[in-house]
Amino acid sequence: MSVIGERVPRSDGRAKASGEAEYGVDHAEPDMIWGALVRSPVSSGRITRLDTAPALAMPGVHAVVTAADAPDTRAGWVLRDQRLFAADRVLYEGQPVAAVAADTLELAREAAAAVVLEIEPLPAVVDLDAALRPDAPLVHPDWESYVPALGPDADYPRHGNLAAESVSDPPGVDDAFARAHRVVTDEFVVQRQYQAYIEPKSAVGIYRDGRFTVHTAHQFPYNVRDRVSQFLDVRPSAVRIVGHTIGGGFGAKLDAALEPYAALLSKAARGRAVKLVNTRTEDLITCPSREGAITRVRSALDEDGTIIARELEVIADNGAYSGEMPWLASIALHCARGVYRAGPTRVTARLVYTNTAPTGAFRGVNGTYLYHAVERHMDHIAAELGVDRREYRLRHLFDDGEELLNGQVLTDAGILREGFEAIEAAAPWAKLEAERRPYRGIGIAAAWWLTNPMPGTAVVKLHEDGTAAVITAATDNGSGAVSMGVTQIVAERLGIPPSDVFVTLPDTDVAGFDAGSQGSRTTRIVGKASQIAADEVITKLKDVAAGLLEAAADDLEVADGTVRVKGAPGTSVPIAVVAATATNTVGPIQGTGSFVTPFPDFNPGCATGLMLPSFPTPTYHVHLAEVEVDPVTGTVQVLRYLVAQEVGAVISPDGTYGQVMGGVTQGIGYALHESLRIGEDGRYRERTLESYRLPLAGDVPRVEFFPLEHPDPDGPHGAKGVGEGPILLPAAVIANAVSDAIGRPLNNIPITPEEVLAALQTAELRNDEEHVR
Amino acid sequence: MELSTADSVDEALDELSRRGERCRVLAGGTDVMIQLARREIAPEHLLHVERLGELRAVETDGSTRLGALVTHRDLAVGRLGPGYAAVAESAATVGGLQTQVVGTIGGNVCNASPAADTLPALLVHDAEVTLRSVRGSRTVPLAEFVVGRRVTTRAPDELLTTITLGRPAPRTGDVYLKVGRRSAMEVAIVGLAARLTFDGTGVVTDARIAVASVGPRPLRSVGAETALVGGTGDAESVHAAAKALLQDVDPIDDVRGTADYRRRVIPGLLGRAVRVCAQRAEG
Repeated sequence: MSVIGERVPRSDGRAKASGEAEYGVDHAEPDMIWGALVRSPVSSGRITRLDTAPALAMPGVHAVVTAADAPDTRAGWVLRDQRLFAADRVLYEGQPVAAVAADTLELAREAAAAVVLEIEPLPAVVDLDAALRPDAPLVHPDWESYVPALGPDADYPRHGNLAAESVSDPPGVDDAFARAHRVVTDEFVVQRQYQAYIEPKSAVGIYRDGRFTVHTAHQFPYNVRDRVSQFLDVRPSAVRIVGHTIGGGFGAKLDAALEPYAALLSKAARGRAVKLVNTRTEDLITCPSREGAITRVRSALDEDGTIIARELEVIADNGAYSGEMPWLASIALHCARGVYRAGPTRVTARLVYTNTAPTGAFRGVNGTYLYHAVERHMDHIAAELGVDRREYRLRHLFDDGEELLNGQVLTDAGILREGFEAIEAAAPWAKLEAERRPYRGIGIAAAWWLTNPMPGTAVVKLHEDGTAAVITAATDNGSGAVSMGVTQIVAERLGIPPSDVFVTLPDTDVAGFDAGSQGSRTTRIVGKASQIAADEVITKLKDVAAGLLEAAADDLEVADGTVRVKGAPGTSVPIAVVAATATNTVGPIQGTGSFVTPFPDFNPGCATGLMLPSFPTPTYHVHLAEVEVDPVTGTVQVLRYLVAQEVGAVISPDGTYGQVMGGVTQGIGYALHESLRIGEDGRYRERTLESYRLPLAGDVPRVEFFPLEHPDPDGPHGAKGVGEGPILLPAAVIANAVSDAIGRPLNNIPITPEEVLAALQTAELRNDEEHVR
Repeated sequence: MELSTADSVDEALDELSRRGERCRVLAGGTDVMIQLARREIAPEHLLHVERLGELRAVETDGSTRLGALVTHRDLAVGRLGPGYAAVAESAATVGGLQTQVVGTIGGNVCNASPAADTLPALLVHDAEVTLRSVRGSRTVPLAEFVVGRRVTTRAPDELLTTITLGRPAPRTGDVYLKVGRRSAMEVAIVGLAARLTFDGTGVVTDARIAVASVGPRPLRSVGAETALVGGTGDAESVHAAAKALLQDVDPIDDVRGTADYRRRVIPGLLGRAVRVCAQRAEG
């Protein structure tokens, strides 16, 4: 019986529910001591005094380290612009200035507080537009000396506070605007969003035999290895990262955080294992949150209302250091038209250094606010034209063979229309419009997205008892991609139950490179690599079983826990017997598989700074929401939420639905509840989970989900990515629905009760005045 | 820091008498433990009073008296019986279930938070608090007990033991409405309690309006109450009451909401409260 598409228990479910699972924050080592960081209390300033002596003098303190104790080098994922410790200037609140190791966590924190740190404040660069003005103070006066990780010759436009830029300027834009019948213009502003995983970041560092080992719960252990090696100036193989069960990451655990500090402290403490763990406030204010951004869109329309050209400019907040952000800047090119034809489109994406915590990856990177802008803009155009919003979208919708701004051709974009139809069948648009009640509104939006193509590898090892181990550095950050997806795929191939497949936790000394839990890639990439590895196991099983069954290997099949003769299932031998026989004859059976998706063809001349050139393994998404606004408080309740999503093939129904429900929930939080404001001083205003409000079960309806399945020939069982897509559109559809409900445009995210109520009361006032006239 | 557990009220009063300001009373701990963790308080001694069963009683014969250790959950599920919907509704919005099952009404009162949910509900029911010490006992109106942001008139040796509520007259309706960014687990941006008594023709004969999170302490608005009496909960009287209420409050901008929003939300919230009270008074 096939286990693909079936509900199977997740392999880590029992341990997580019972409390047996060891998360990174639970990990302990013999003789372990504790660390704490001294962090900058201000967002911009010059260090005038740093005295570690009072901390070092405290009994029980093993080490205190500062920039003077770390290699004089800069590190970074895309651009090497980051020091381990601030040396002379501090560039954001929370930036590490020193680290201490002591017998207990409490003592470490007391010692950190005892370090004397005096900072002369400097003006903070916070406002994005202001940061780009010629007279703005430079966040990095030395920006020219920084080296891209890909080498000094990388196509990497940047200048001053402009941390990265990607520009596409095709011919015909200005001509179209010159002859336009009508031009529609919008500006959208979105805040940051904190990933708000349950498990705060932690790390245990051990320096032993000249090598660094770090235990951490991380989405991308190999990236941590590389970052620790850069910061500590050792070769990558001198660093070993051991992964643990992850209490959520959502992109925030893709780059190193506490790991290099734990490693350095252990060396300073003569090899004692040192554990660092963030308080929730430390975690929140230093997390690489989703970036705030300003998006400006203009569309040129002809007399029929057809869009004939567009300009889109996005200015995004990089924070004080670059992380993964420059690599993502070119996503604006891929989303500037959404999924609608819009003629030649000029796209300018600017990433700006500010004196704030560095931003980074968060599920649906850049897409959440780009789609919010594009889809709000579509509603605005339809309103200007007085035409139905859904019809207007369908009129411009991509079809099979659509050629994109980067030259990539979407052969299967017609799936989008199926998505609209699936939603229509469950929630007919005309019916929703006809049944409109006061303060209720509906919104609809669509998107396309990639499945991250980066490489993965797996070894499938057969035990002598007929069970299998999958050795991989892939991580399950809660999605079930490993605990269900990869497990099911290997079980299916080997004809054994999923409960007989064990997948290791990552260890960079043991498993090959894996590009981490990001971009919806794990089920597809690691599933495929595991499938290839399992096929090698099958070949070896058949070769050994051929001798046992006195049959030709080509006549054998592996199924139901046996190797058997095709067409004669009675002639079989259990896998366990074959595995044991092999061990003592030809040697233990294992197989290896690797996989990477090639980037789809694109036109390299279409843009400058095109670091993410095209979107591999595209998926398609249509969302609809119905909301109700409380006219007294301005709060918004989401009444109904529908998702039609292309997934290739459903491997795990629970995993797939879980990702859809979770992504929409996070998107609703982004749209309505989660406020992460930065004051003029560059410091966050929300600093705990009391003021940073995540949506609760009562704030989120049960999502109605309609999977679209067009199997991908290269994916395992046809699977494409699932996890990111669901968060792309909630901000767009909810903003459209709320604007519809109150009859006024709301163009900022999050949508606050303040803004809604002010808009309602202004409208009432205007109505009253008109009434009086 | 020392911790001791009192097994009787007298024992607790002895401890308080001896230790005074150096001692902090600990009941459910939902505020005290957080304040300790944030180092906002640093008492020498914690006096754990949660086991004093005599302070858990609810009496509803004659006046309604509840012990200081009655939990939010007790109130949320309606232990006070009909007529005290506002109290039940306010207690049901305090934090989450984990907070409600241990957090106590006495603790909420003594913590005297500007955003305390139960205080407006208790104020509209003319609550009085009884404090005991080795010196004796005194009973004061709640409005005179909570005098400022986190400030009460409790003497260091006093223990809040009982809260007494007035008995609602026939044809009375009450309600607590809370404004937050999400559906639960919120510190109030505005909390508003109302209790209205109507005559047989639908005219308001008695009114109580109290609000939280719009000034240093939760307070009653006599101006709003006066404006409502004699009306029928009509738009005009509600408008006048809202105007009076806005004069009594002094909201600030904080991380949860702006003063402007708080002012904008109050008139509509008051109107909604009056409508609910009228409906409940009929039922």
